Amino acid sequence: MMAETSNETSSPDGIRILAFLCNWCSYAGADLAGVSRLQYPANVLDVRVMCTGTISPYFVIKAFQEGMDGVLIAGCHIGDCHYLKGNYMTAKRFQVLREALRFLGLEEGRLRLEWVSAAEGEKYAEVIRSFTEEVRALGPSPLRERREAGAGAVKA
Amino acid sequence: MSGLKEIIREKLGNDADAFLCLKSEDGAVLPVLISDVGSPDLEAVEVGEARYPLPKILAGLLAAYPDKRFAVLVRGCDERAVIELSKLEQMDLDRVVMVGLACTTEEAEACGCPRPYPNDIALGEKVEPAPGREIIAEVESLADRERMEWWREQFSRCIKCYGCRNICPMCFCKDCSLENPHLVEPGVIPPEFPSFHIIRALDMAGRCIDCGLCEEACPAGIPLRSLYRKMQEIMADKLGYRAGESLDEKSPLSFLGTEADLEKLE
Repeated sequence: MMAETSNETSSPDGIRILAFLCNWCSYAGADLAGVSRLQYPANVLDVRVMCTGTISPYFVIKAFQEGMDGVLIAGCHIGDCHYLKGNYMTAKRFQVLREALRFLGLEEGRLRLEWVSAAEGEKYAEVIRSFTEEVRALGPSPLRERREAGAGAVKA
Repeated sequence: MSGLKEIIREKLGNDADAFLCLKSEDGAVLPVLISDVGSPDLEAVEVGEARYPLPKILAGLLAAYPDKRFAVLVRGCDERAVIELSKLEQMDLDRVVMVGLACTTEEAEACGCPRPYPNDIALGEKVEPAPGREIIAEVESLADRERMEWWREQFSRCIKCYGCRNICPMCFCKDCSLENPHLVEPGVIPPEFPSFHIIRALDMAGRCIDCGLCEEACPAGIPLRSLYRKMQEIMADKLGYRAGESLDEKSPLSFLGTEADLEKLE
């Protein structure tokens, strides 16, 4: 799915962000932002997941590998998880993942975790605005630059 | 070493059906399982300097012989591996007797070991740890882009031999993510940066017991140990966990936990 979209974008500046949104809170929050006609940048591709706890760190790696410039994970506030404790795991994994990516040289600002409830349409729009701004300032991801330049591995 | 032979005789006579350790044969050091005090292998046992992932062999033996008890010779790193594997449900500590071997100063320094001795030492003398953090400090002093280039260069030597995974005492999954074609494209050498190595690094979080066998096994000399050691530090700093230390405290990444656990997170 991502491979198909990786060479095109609907946003004028070419910055691509993948947002994992939990079904119960953040996706509904994004929906609310939409029906409320709030303005936010069109750089985000979203993926609805049942719970942020289902997001393997591999998904995030894969997103960067496929040329995303930033990855947002948004889920229910701690204590509000539909599955009670799914986002506890997200919070813990996120810490480890962000530090690991930083150690390998990926800028910290390219990965963000936010808690957005179904009632927080305005917060969702604000998160997208500020995150897009942050990623735009960092520019295209170094992983994507390499990939698009065609450098790297040879297939045996 | 005569001390080891005595211990093996004693363990085989009392609380173990077999003893897993190393022996010297034609100048090479090999793992050996001794189940009989009359075995000629008993005369060839050796602690040597060679290292083997004995806990990995032990896990296989315990699974293959569910009614037997095994004694095993453990260095500090082996003991941490046995403890962590038991918490990951890979071995039953009730059927394991650990015989601790403390490493010498030279061995500890050659390995850059953070804890070159087990909890109970039956052989050898406890020496000072010699933690080697130079590479981590050097890498961290670089700017983000330079750091990525540095790692890219290191990983560009990877020939995808899977030696790091195969030697690792903490790797036991039947389906390995490194062989998932969606994550690591088959037939591509070196593997795409950084997927292969970051997948392994993430899987080592809360598991790596810092034995350094991965780096020893790597034919391309990639500083893998520094990467996994950094994962260890991240686990300790962020989630307050060090693999292989406590017998009952499990890795925070292996269970959901409580709200209180999250309070110290950023």
